[in-house]
Amino acid sequence: MTRTKFFANAMLGASAAAALVAAASSATAAPSASATVAARHAGFKKMGGAMKVLKDQLASGSIDKAAAVAAAKTIATVGKGQPKLFPAGTGPSSGVKTDALPAIWTNKAGFAAQWSKFQVEADKMVAVAATGDATRIGTQFKALGGACGSCHKQFRADD
Amino acid sequence: MTQGAAPLSTTRIWDPFVRLFHWALVLLIAFSWWSGEQHDMDRHRLSGYTILALVVFRVLWGFFGPRTARFSSFVRGPGAVMAYVRSMGSRIAHASNGHNPLGGWSVVAMLAVILAMVVAGLFSVDVDGLESGPLADYVSFEAGRSAAEIHETVFNVILALVAIHVAAVLFYLVWKRQNLIRAMVTGKRPLGAGEVPGEVAGDMRWSVVAAVACLAVGAAVAWAVSTGFRF
Repeated sequence: MTRTKFFANAMLGASAAAALVAAASSATAAPSASATVAARHAGFKKMGGAMKVLKDQLASGSIDKAAAVAAAKTIATVGKGQPKLFPAGTGPSSGVKTDALPAIWTNKAGFAAQWSKFQVEADKMVAVAATGDATRIGTQFKALGGACGSCHKQFRADD
Repeated sequence: MTQGAAPLSTTRIWDPFVRLFHWALVLLIAFSWWSGEQHDMDRHRLSGYTILALVVFRVLWGFFGPRTARFSSFVRGPGAVMAYVRSMGSRIAHASNGHNPLGGWSVVAMLAVILAMVVAGLFSVDVDGLESGPLADYVSFEAGRSAAEIHETVFNVILALVAIHVAAVLFYLVWKRQNLIRAMVTGKRPLGAGEVPGEVAGDMRWSVVAAVACLAVGAAVAWAVSTGFRF
């Protein structure tokens, strides 16, 4: 019993250490394709959740300025880091489950252009959210959503 | 209302609302699937609201409609269902005035699953947080994503039920030489041997006031839901 417990603890410790090492070295050494895909999924999920915060405020008709700005900032800052999470070898051919299309790597310029378009709209969203004006936030939400959608249409598998 | 080409050889078994409901649902489910595939979410939501209105109407019509529309006339116990299943292989046409004991449960299942589909859709959020059902802002992003997954899964259940339904109709057409499709269009079925017109269908009368009231409640519920209960 105790030996099993000890073994389990040791395994837990080892995996925690491995996770730490992986996290620490991610800046320098290339992380595994699955870790990269997981990281960008998590990023997009955060952005999606933040988009929903804005959408919910628009639906309810009452803007919570602080929450709207926070959500817009999440979208802009997380979004800024996302393009780096598409290194070569993290596409569908890597075997990792991903909706990222090969076009991301064959049309790098087009992909980058989409990201800069997104960033412009995302930064604008932060500024517009700070006004607390529902009409302007609604308009910018559409513009930002359009930027998201046009990139997804081109570079994300439709499932 | 007026009798067709063969006035004495048919009997009315479906009222106009049951038939309209049936065929509208066929079109709307197809359209919902298509608009969903096209990511035409504005039309997809509209289609869903219309389905919700129709389902609410049908449930009410199951209490206030004419005899063959009422749940009390076609929701039968396991004994009746089993007896019916045992008789299914017989090629002697079962001249049913309304849903048969097994078909009655298929109606209940269909209504329940379609309602589940609509409810899941109301809370659904897409992965980008861009599109959502009208009640999605009452739940978290994660819950909305789960609702969207349920929405997708339940569609497969609908497809399965539709497949069983169509198979049963074809079984009747080929094996029992009974055209249920025509009956669902015209509302009438041919009289069986020895049946006297006017005596078999039972009370097929329905009230215009009840029909309008049931439709109005269905439309009101769908409208209220579509606004996210913000009037």
